[in-house]
Amino acid sequence: MQKVIGDFIHALRHHGLPVSPAETLDALQATELVGLDNPLRLKTTLSLTLAKNLQHRAQLEVLFDQFFQLSEEETEASTTDAENSEKGDNEPATETSASNQTEDSGANEQQAQQNNPDSSGPQVSSPLAQQLLSNDQSSLQVTIASAGKSEGATEMQLFTQKSQVSYRIMQQLGDRELNQELAELSEQPENLALVERLQQARQQLREQVSDYVEQQYLLFTQKSGEQLRENNLKKIKLTNVDHSHYHQMSRLVQKSAKRLASMHSRRKRVTKHGQLDTRKTIAANAAYDGFLFHTKWKSTKVDRPKVMVLCDVSGSVSRVARFLLLFLYSLQDVLPRVRSFVFASDLGEVTDSFDKDTIDVAITKIMDEWANRPTDYGIALQDFRSLALKDIDKKTTVIMLGDARNNNADPKSEIWEEVYKRSQRVLWLNPEGRYSWNTGDSVMREYAPHCSLVEPCNSLRDITRILGTLLQRS
Amino acid sequence: MIIKHSDKIRSPEEIRKNFEKLGYICSDAIATAVYLACQLQKPILIEGPPGVGKTELAKKTSEYLSAPLIRMQCYEGLDEAKALYEWKYGKQLLYTQLLKDQLGDVMRGAKGLDESVDRLHQFGDIFYSEEFLETRPLLQALKEPEGAILLIDEIDKADQEFEAFLLELLSDYQVSIPEIGTVKATSRPIVMLTSNNTRELGDALKRRCLHLYIPFPEPKLEQKIIASQVPELGGELRDQLVGFVKELRMMALKKVPAVSESIDWARALLLLNVEELDREWVENTLNLLLKFQEDVEIVEPEINQLLSNLRKSGRN
Repeated sequence: MQKVIGDFIHALRHHGLPVSPAETLDALQATELVGLDNPLRLKTTLSLTLAKNLQHRAQLEVLFDQFFQLSEEETEASTTDAENSEKGDNEPATETSASNQTEDSGANEQQAQQNNPDSSGPQVSSPLAQQLLSNDQSSLQVTIASAGKSEGATEMQLFTQKSQVSYRIMQQLGDRELNQELAELSEQPENLALVERLQQARQQLREQVSDYVEQQYLLFTQKSGEQLRENNLKKIKLTNVDHSHYHQMSRLVQKSAKRLASMHSRRKRVTKHGQLDTRKTIAANAAYDGFLFHTKWKSTKVDRPKVMVLCDVSGSVSRVARFLLLFLYSLQDVLPRVRSFVFASDLGEVTDSFDKDTIDVAITKIMDEWANRPTDYGIALQDFRSLALKDIDKKTTVIMLGDARNNNADPKSEIWEEVYKRSQRVLWLNPEGRYSWNTGDSVMREYAPHCSLVEPCNSLRDITRILGTLLQRS
Repeated sequence: MIIKHSDKIRSPEEIRKNFEKLGYICSDAIATAVYLACQLQKPILIEGPPGVGKTELAKKTSEYLSAPLIRMQCYEGLDEAKALYEWKYGKQLLYTQLLKDQLGDVMRGAKGLDESVDRLHQFGDIFYSEEFLETRPLLQALKEPEGAILLIDEIDKADQEFEAFLLELLSDYQVSIPEIGTVKATSRPIVMLTSNNTRELGDALKRRCLHLYIPFPEPKLEQKIIASQVPELGGELRDQLVGFVKELRMMALKKVPAVSESIDWARALLLLNVEELDREWVENTLNLLLKFQEDVEIVEPEINQLLSNLRKSGRN
C-alpha cells in the first residue's frame, strides 16, 4: 500500500501539487484507518489529506481516476484474457503446456528438435515468443514495467517521444528476435497456425506497451512538456504572442500574478518603536487609577501603494497592455486600489468595467471600445489631468505603458511633470527596446526626465520583475 | 480528547447515520473528515460558500460526542489577549490595594531598597499566577479536562499574525505563556476551523489540517436536508423548490442562495400555505433567497423561464 500511495503522490507532485512529507505520512495513516476497499472513500480521504485548495482537489480527483482506473483496467483485461485462453483455445493451451514441458527437458533436446523439423509439434526459441505463448499476463506486465523503466518511460519530455519509447520497450522485450523467428517459421507451411497465433499475441503486446507508455506519459510527462512551453512563453515578446497562445498566456499571467501576490500578501508593518504615545497611554490606563499598566507606542503603518495605470491601447502596444492589465487585476489581493485608464487619443477610466465583468471579457470590451484610433499623448494627458490629477498624492504610484509615439503632435510633457511631482513615483514601461526610443515620432526624451524609472517591458518576465519591485518597495 | 463512547466514531457510516438522527444530513466526505479528525487527532479546515453548514457541523459534532463546544469568532485585529489569555488587571489592582497593610508588615524593618526587593521576591509572583489569569477560548479549550470541540470560526477574517500564532496550538496542542510557562492540553480538543476564502490561508496552516471543502449539496441531498428540517413540506413542492434553487445557482449572481436560504424559503412557503410554485409566489418571496437587489432584478424577468424549465425536467 505504501508503494501505491507513494507512486500516486509522486504523480501528484509531478502535476504541481505541493505535497510535503508530513502530508504523505498523514495520508498513509488515514488510508490505513479507512482501508482500500472503498475507492470513493479512498479518494475522499486522499483529497482531505493531500489537496489543500479547490484547484488542487480537482486535479487530485482527475489524477486519482487516471492512476487507479488504468491499473484496474489492466487487471481486468488480463483476467479476461486468461479466461478467454482457457475457455476458447483449448487446443493451443495444451500445445503451450507441451512446449513448456519440452523446454524443461533441456536445451540439448530443444536443439535436436529444431534440427529435425519432423519432430512432434512446432517449437519457438526466442524468449519473448515463449512468454507470449505461455500467455502469462502478470509476468508480461512486470517485464513491460521493468523494460519501461530502463528505457525511460517515466522521464519522457515531449509527447513525440511516446512512439519512440514504445518501440524501444518492444526491442528490449526481444521483439527483434521474435520477428526473425517469425520469418523463419513462416517459411514452413506447417507452422502457419503457430505463426498466426504469435502474430496476434505480438499485436496484443504492442497495444499493451503503448497503453503503458500512454499512462506513464499522462502521469509523469504531460506536465513537464507544458512547463517547457510555459517557460518559453514567459520569455517570448508579448507583441509576438500567437493568437492561439492567448488563452494559455492569460492563464500563465494569472499564475505569475498569484505567485507574486502570495509573496507579498503579508501586510508589512514597519513600526517606530521607542516613542511613547503619552496621550494614548494615559487614556488607556485611566481605569487603573493612574497606574500605567498598558503602554502605548507610536507607530506608523506602511500602506499598500495606490496605483494608477495608464495604458496606451493603440496598435502594437495594445497586446502588452492587455497582459499588463490582466496582471494588475490578478494582483487584487495585494493591490486593492488600482485605477486604470486607457487611451489612444481620448483617455477614459475603465476601473468599473473590471469590477463588473470577468477580466477576459472586460479587456476584450475595452479593446473594442478604445483601441484603433491614432495616438495622441497630449490629448490623453489633458484628459488625465482633469480626471485624476487631484487624486494623486504622495502614496500614489503612476504606471504608464506606452511607446511614446505621438504622431508628431504636442507631447504636453508639462502635465507629465506635474504628475511626477505630485506622486510617489512614476514608472514608464515601454514595449519597444531602448534602441528604438526617440527614433521617428517617438518622444520618449520629452517624458523620460519626469519618470522615476523608465524600463523596456515586453515579456511576462519583465512585467513580473517590474511589478515585483513595485510591491517590494511599498 | 477523551471520547466517552468510542463506538460512536467506529466508522464514517456510523457517524453519518447518527448525524442524520440529529438532523444534520451530510455527505460521505464530511463523515469521513469527522472520522479522520477524531481518529488522527488532527484539526479540520472547512471551506465552502457561506450557508452550507460549516459552523453547524461543529455544533453537531459537539452534540454528538457530548463534548462542550468552545467557539471563537475571528475578526480583524483579534490578538492573543482576546483569543488566549489576559491578566485580570482589575483584580490585581484590587488585591494590591487590599494587601497594602500586609505588604507593609512584610517590608517593615527592611534596610534599604535592595533588602525590600529581596523580601518581595521571596513571595514569588503571586500576582501573576493562575488565579489572576483570565482564560479566553483557546486556553479554555486546552484546559477542558475531558476535551472539547474548538471552533475557530472564519479564520480568514483574522490577521496573518494570528494565523501564525495558531500554528503551535494546532500541531502540538500547547501554548506558551511567558509568566507561567507552557500550557499543554490535558486532553486534546477536536479543532475545526472554518473559512469563507476571503483570503488565501498560509500553507503552514493548511499543512497541519485536513482540508474539507463543503460544496452546495447535490439535489438529492438537499431534498433530504429540507425534508429533515421542514418535514411538513409536501414532497412535490420540495422537489420543485430544490430544482428552482439549483437553477438559480447556475445563474451569474452576486450571491447565490445557499442551503440555509433554501431552508428559510421552505419554511416561508409552508407558512404561506403554498401548494405549487408559481410566478406570483416566487416573486413575492424571492427576497428570502436573494440578498442583493441587483440579483433580484436579474432573476425576476427570468422566473417564467425557470419555472417552465423546472416543469420540463420534472416531467422527464
